[in-house]
Order: sequence, then structure tokens, then C-alpha cells
Amino acid sequence: MSLLESVRLALEGIMASKLRSFLTTLGIVIGIAAVITVVAIGQGGRQLLIGEMENLGTNLFAVYVDWRETDTTGTEFQVRDVAVIKELVPEVQHLAPLSSAMDQIRGSTKQMNAQVIGTTADLGPVRNLKLADGRFLKPEDDAGGRRVAVIEEDFAREIFGRQEPLGQKIIIRNTPFLVVGVLTSETSMFSFGTGKTVYVPHRAWSEVFNSRQVNQLEGTAVSRELVPEAMQKTVTILERRHGAPDRYTSVSLDQQMEVAKRITGIMTLVVGAVAGISLFVGGIGVMNIMLVSVTERVREIGVRMAVGARRKDILAQFLIESVVLCLIGGAIGMMLGIGGAFLVAKIANWPPLVAPSTVIIAVLFSALVGVLSGLWPANKAAQLDPIEALRRE
Amino acid sequence: MISIVGLDKDYLIGSVTVHALRGVSLEIRAGEFVSIMGSSGSGKSTLMNILGCLDRPTNGTYELDGVRVDQMTDTELAAVRNRKIGFVFQNFNLLAQLTAQRNVELPMIYAGANPAQRKQASIEALSRVGLMDRAHHRPTQLSGGQNQRVAIARALVNNPAIILADEPTGNLDTRSGEEIMAIFQELNRSGVTIVLVTHEPDIVRHTQRILHFRDGVLIREEGVDDPVDARDYLASLPGGEANEA
Repeated sequence: MSLLESVRLALEGIMASKLRSFLTTLGIVIGIAAVITVVAIGQGGRQLLIGEMENLGTNLFAVYVDWRETDTTGTEFQVRDVAVIKELVPEVQHLAPLSSAMDQIRGSTKQMNAQVIGTTADLGPVRNLKLADGRFLKPEDDAGGRRVAVIEEDFAREIFGRQEPLGQKIIIRNTPFLVVGVLTSETSMFSFGTGKTVYVPHRAWSEVFNSRQVNQLEGTAVSRELVPEAMQKTVTILERRHGAPDRYTSVSLDQQMEVAKRITGIMTLVVGAVAGISLFVGGIGVMNIMLVSVTERVREIGVRMAVGARRKDILAQFLIESVVLCLIGGAIGMMLGIGGAFLVAKIANWPPLVAPSTVIIAVLFSALVGVLSGLWPANKAAQLDPIEALRRE
Repeated sequence: MISIVGLDKDYLIGSVTVHALRGVSLEIRAGEFVSIMGSSGSGKSTLMNILGCLDRPTNGTYELDGVRVDQMTDTELAAVRNRKIGFVFQNFNLLAQLTAQRNVELPMIYAGANPAQRKQASIEALSRVGLMDRAHHRPTQLSGGQNQRVAIARALVNNPAIILADEPTGNLDTRSGEEIMAIFQELNRSGVTIVLVTHEPDIVRHTQRILHFRDGVLIREEGVDDPVDARDYLASLPGGEANEA
């Protein structure tokens, strides 16, 4: 008997009890739809995450004091270090010192708390900061000890109201700073700080806050490949200059991206596995109904055997019926799953990612579920004694 | 056509061995119309199962159409059933979800015939039993007599060596039963070998030879000198001559 004929037999069997077939398939439909949707959401989220990280620049790295090793003294970094490193390490493209403090900022209409960061011109390219108006800090600002500030758009609106912020003064610790630049307030899941950030030249920061402390260094390497080397050499120089081995720790965005990829991958796998359980339960449903079907159709099996069906023909019939049932469920589930993935993507505003591999795996998996859940019932059918089967009412 | 020598069939029910058939030997020639008669428990059903290659004898030999079949495997027996035997059952045993034509095609599907061959042969078989116009009806849309005729068409479709009919008129009224017997007689006249199992004395009178069974033993063979022609009988029934058939 040809495969085509077997499929036709299976379809006849399925169509003989439409409602039951539909309900049986439902488990597979939901299982496949859940797996496809969940995996697509996971992969879309991961794509979004990685995309955002790449936006920040994959050459990014930062050096901190390893707080696990020692108590921080506040003198682990010096502003001089930055110039030395930039001169000695060609792999380092930009490098900026960062000192940070929370304080009251007064504008023309209002005063409020903000993070004041003392840094240099290099932080602009390092953090990929986008200007809405004016300019970012310049090297001359630091050299000349200028009291200038760059603030974020949203923050400017809060402290200046509708007034044009450029050219206005903000007061930090009774010292006026001239606003020379306004940054766009981009909403990103990795935006630095809270949006209430004021960037001032490092020298001015030291004077106003009366502190020589540098919290960390942020920099970029000339290329993605050279990030590890740039970090390594930076740390080595710092250790030598401060006579403090194992005191510094460095991290690159590339490393963090790898971690993020791994975490999202594991999460997708875990949630996908949970969805997979529903597919498994669906498979048990199919097996259950196939067993009922075999019991109900004992006489039919007897008749088929009497007219010449071999045991393997009966086995094939029920196995193929189970596979066809699961494939129909798989196909419907696939369409629902893809629809669900697009719907979620539209609502959550992230890329709908239905990988062809997911779809292929889902289809193969539903066929596999069909085989596995059909095997026992089909075997039961094939082992029937034709005489007994014909006698059954 | 059929040659059986020293056939025994034992069943083990619990710890008791039941001798369903004991030392049965018989011959059925090609073109014969033979009936097997006996009461319940006489062994006629067991014999029918063995004749139909649904079961194997415990002892003895069974030769069908020149081939020993008593020691065949399940798969070989399935092939024999498919090619050489046509079954007609008391309760028709048609598949409810299939049309008459698909039911008739069933043996050909397992014989590996292609759709064109199947269609041609099934229409031919249906026309031999006078049901061409019911080819696309399902069993529930047909009367008992019509269903039994579909079953006969199914039994005929692979041109078997023998047709085995197990109480084929048992579920039918007298007229329908006679119509079925008329078809069997017609088929027999055209050369088909038929073995009919029944316990109805009226029915066996339509056949040429009667094999009487009791307690698993063939106790008597009886030739029928002048078999009743079902056509004559139908004509004598109130309501006139044979319809449809």
C-alpha cells in the first residue's frame, strides 16, 4: 500500500469523527503555538538587548577599583593617569576619568537634585552622547578651569521651564556654571543615570566638590578586537603607577554582551522547555484518544485484516493517522504561534523574530509527537486477533 | 480447490483443553456450492475461521487452491485472505465511514492495486450484485439486503478462489435473504466456488452439498438432488417477482 493511500486512509479516519479529531489536535495546536511564540519573544528580546548594547559601542570598556580586594581610599585613580595611559597605550582611542556626586542644582525656575559628573571631552565619544544643541565639553574647558556644564534635555526643561537653556547659568554649590550644551534624552534600556545628569569639566568638579577622587575610567579601544588588550594595558599601567597589583578590575561591553546573550539564551531555553511541556501533554492527549479510537474500531481492524490487511498495514494506518493528526495540529499551531509572535512584537515594540529553524523544529517535533503517541495504540491495533476483532460488537 | 485431511483444532480455555474440531477431512471442488451446517458449538465457526485463513489448525493439513496454508505465518495468511478468499459476514461488516464503492475497493487497496484499477473493478463488482446506482451511498443509507450485496461485491472484487459466507442471511428478512441466495446461485453458475455456513434448513436447500457437523466432527455429507432456485422462490413470494436483484 502506498504512502499516499495510507494518508488517505488516515484522513478518512480523522474525518470520521471531526469534533473529536479537532479536540485531540487542540493540545498540539496550543503546544506548538506556545513554543513558537515563546521562542520568538525570547529571540526578539535578545535581539533588542544586543542591538541596544551595540548602539552604545562595542569598543567600550571601563576600569574600576576592585572593591572586593581593598577598601577604597579615593586615590586609586588620578587625572594624570588618563594622559599617561593615552600616551602609552595605542590601543586606547578615548579615555575619560569620571567623578560623580549628587547635589542640588539650581536653574532659573527651580532647583533639584542631580548627578554631577566631572569628566573630560573624551566621555562624549565614549558614551556616544548625542547633542540636541550646543557642544560637549572640550579639552580647553578642563585646561582653562572653565565653569561650563552640559545637561540633558529633560532636566533642562525641568529647571529652566520653557526658557532656552543654552547660555543660562546653573548653580552648583554656589558656583555658577554656564550651560554650553544640551544632550538628547534618549530612552534606552541602558541609559546612564536617571536623565538628571550634569556633565562638567573634571577640574571644575574637583574645585567645587573639593575632592581629588576619581571613581572610574571609561574608554574605548580603537577596534573591537583590541578591547581586551587596551583594558589589560590600562590596568597594568595603573597597577605600576600606584604600586597596587590586583587592585583594579576592568569590564568591557563585549564581555557583558556575551553574558547577556548567554542569559537570554538560557531564559529562552527554559521558557521554551516549559512551553514544550504543554506540547508533551498534548502528545499524551493524542495517545489517549488514539487508544480510545483503537478500542472503538476493533471491528474495523478485524474487517481490514479479514480482507487482507497485514499487521504492518494496520500499524501504519494508526501511526500515520496519529502523525497526520499531529501535523495538522502543528500546522495550525505554527500559524497561531507566528501570529502570536507578531502580535507580541507589535505590542512590546520589538522585532518579531520567528526563525525558520524554530518552525522546522516545531513541525518535525509535532511529527515526532505523532509517532511517539501513535506507536503504542497502533501496535495494540496491529496485535489484535482478527477472529476476536470480528466478533467484537 | 479445498482439501483438508485429519484436521484438529484445540483451544485452551483456562486449564481445560476444548477440542473444537476433531479429525475433520473434506474436499471441496472448484465451482461447488457447499453448505456447512450445525448447531451452536458444532465447530462450524472454528472450521470457517480455518477455511478463511484467520486461524491455523492444531493438527492436520489444509490445502487451498493447490497451496498448503496450515503452517503459514500471519503475513502470509493475510496475503492468502486478500487474494484467494472473499468473506461475507452475517452482520455485513462494512466500514460505516466509507461509501459502498470504497468499501468494495478495500481488499484491492491491500492488494496494492492503483486507483484506476480499483475503480474499474469495484464498479464491475457492484454491477454484478445490481448496486451500480448505490456506489456513493454509505452503509447507513442502504437497506440490510443492499448492505449484504455491497459485502458480496467486496468479497468478489479480488477474484478470489472461494467465497466464504458465514450466516449471510441471518440478519435479513426472508425476501432479502432469498435475494442474497439468488445472487450466490448466480455467481456459482458463473463458476465461483462458495462455502456457506448456516443453521437454517431452508437456506441449505439452495446449495448442492451439505456437510453436517456436531461436536467438532463431520458426521454426515448430504447431496442435494434438486437445489431450490431462489429466483423461483422469490417469484412465489407475495409481492411478485424478484426486485432489484
